[in-house]
Amino acid sequence: MKQVVTTILSNDPLSDSFYEMSFTWDIEQTPLPGQFCTIRVSPFSAPLLRRPFAFSDFDATDKKASVIYKQRGPATGLLAAKREGDTLDIIGPLGSSFPLKDCEPLVCLAGGTGFGPMLFLARQSIEMGKKTSLIIGYKTLSQVPALASLSACDPIFTTDDGSAGHKGTPLDYLSSVNNVFGKNTTVCACGPVPLMRGCAQWAKACAFPCFVSLEQVMACGVGACMGCAVKVIDASKNGYARACIEGPVFPAERVVWT
Amino acid sequence: MDLSVTIGNEKLANPVGVASGTFGYGSEYEQLIDLHDIGALYTKAVTLLPRTGNDIPRIIETPSGILNSIGLANVGVERFIQEKMPACMRMPCSIIVNVAGSSIDEYAAVVDRLETCEGLFGYEINISCPNVKHGGLAFGTDPVLVEQLTRLIRNRTKKPLIIKLTPNVTDIRVIAKAAEAGGADAVSCINTLVGMAIDVEAKCTVLQMKTGGLSGPAIRPVGVAATYAVHKAVSIPVIGMGGISCGRDALEYLLAGASAIQIGTANFVDPQTVSNVLREITGFAEREKLSTIQDFHRFVS
Repeated sequence: MKQVVTTILSNDPLSDSFYEMSFTWDIEQTPLPGQFCTIRVSPFSAPLLRRPFAFSDFDATDKKASVIYKQRGPATGLLAAKREGDTLDIIGPLGSSFPLKDCEPLVCLAGGTGFGPMLFLARQSIEMGKKTSLIIGYKTLSQVPALASLSACDPIFTTDDGSAGHKGTPLDYLSSVNNVFGKNTTVCACGPVPLMRGCAQWAKACAFPCFVSLEQVMACGVGACMGCAVKVIDASKNGYARACIEGPVFPAERVVWT
Repeated sequence: MDLSVTIGNEKLANPVGVASGTFGYGSEYEQLIDLHDIGALYTKAVTLLPRTGNDIPRIIETPSGILNSIGLANVGVERFIQEKMPACMRMPCSIIVNVAGSSIDEYAAVVDRLETCEGLFGYEINISCPNVKHGGLAFGTDPVLVEQLTRLIRNRTKKPLIIKLTPNVTDIRVIAKAAEAGGADAVSCINTLVGMAIDVEAKCTVLQMKTGGLSGPAIRPVGVAATYAVHKAVSIPVIGMGGISCGRDALEYLLAGASAIQIGTANFVDPQTVSNVLREITGFAEREKLSTIQDFHRFVS
């Protein structure tokens, strides 16, 4: 973990309200799928706190990291207004990562901005030669991004309104295909809580290990403030864990769904 | 120029501290900042037994501030000594343990246990906690109780004893005087302000505990005013805090009468704040030819 001022290499809209931002990576530690960085979006006192963003890509050759975000409030609005060449104050890489070792076949399930870290995970898994399925849910066709790195993963799309891919949610898709993924499948999910909870239930019914990435409002991002607590089953942790340091990726069986 | 700060019988190397609850036990920030720049590290509050903390959400952002409801989540004094203190003792800065409790006996028990350990600089007593025997009203709102609590701890330690004042009172000077009368070596002010946020769509409070503690740049003028008032009222050092994000903010507190300052919420925003603030205070002192911390107090009458 380090705090550095990086330079933005690109900050482009991917689809309706989704952006991908790439920046230089001058930190020795390599970001892993599931890990995140915090970005100070403004030098002023509002928005005040740094915002966490999961990595969506890392290019070791070009020393370039990327995040995918959705423009939804003042902080992401300021981020969307940034241009190539602008500087960016980041701290990273932070948090736990998704497992890749001994995970084949791997099923990656994403909803909303969760597709950034899932894309990163799926790409690394495919590069390792592993059988990998990437299933991504959107509300509608206008949200589906035109992204070469995404197409290369041969993703399965679902949309709530059926305007692209399979109609329904990624969970509906999972139920419809039942278990085509084979024995020893590992499932990883990132997205809205109902999606991850449903995915965890499906994986449990199939006896597949499942990992989810939990989101919580963060203040410090480094484990100091206890602000980003999430409910977990673990006596020694008194029922709470910090999403920033013990997480954001947790084995689904540890999570207390609320 | 000597910017060291004397609290009781001990000296802090410089006036810049990191506020309790914003810096964990120090090791969390080890990779991000030079800990040599910290004059005093005020630990996360320590209670007698471990506390799980409040229900979630615990943090929400408000205009130029944050509202927190952490609930003193901490590992308890025994695990603090076993698990956290060894790392604290390796740090190149003074360690002040922030002590919290639900009863006078709990404060006494925590201090008694910590007195068996070597290497701590002193204690900062968090009197903003609800007193369970007095219907949950904070200890820090009752001057009689504050004097009694301060004296009880004073009788247990020779180490620097700092009482952390709550701003949620009618006259903070009365509480500061009570702490001084009880034998405190310094007072720190201010703790967070009571605040509430309501989710208009859901028509309920955002925080499960209904209210939380407001901190950040939004409260700085309140902290500066409290520091000024308390400095005029007592003769022990005042440690100012509330919304300090840069050197100029810290200088406001020093000019208002603070002998030291603490940085809290700004650690979340930019961990380099401590180093920047120390550099800016030192630069100001050089420019203005101020040779001690007391020299800062000459200007604002």
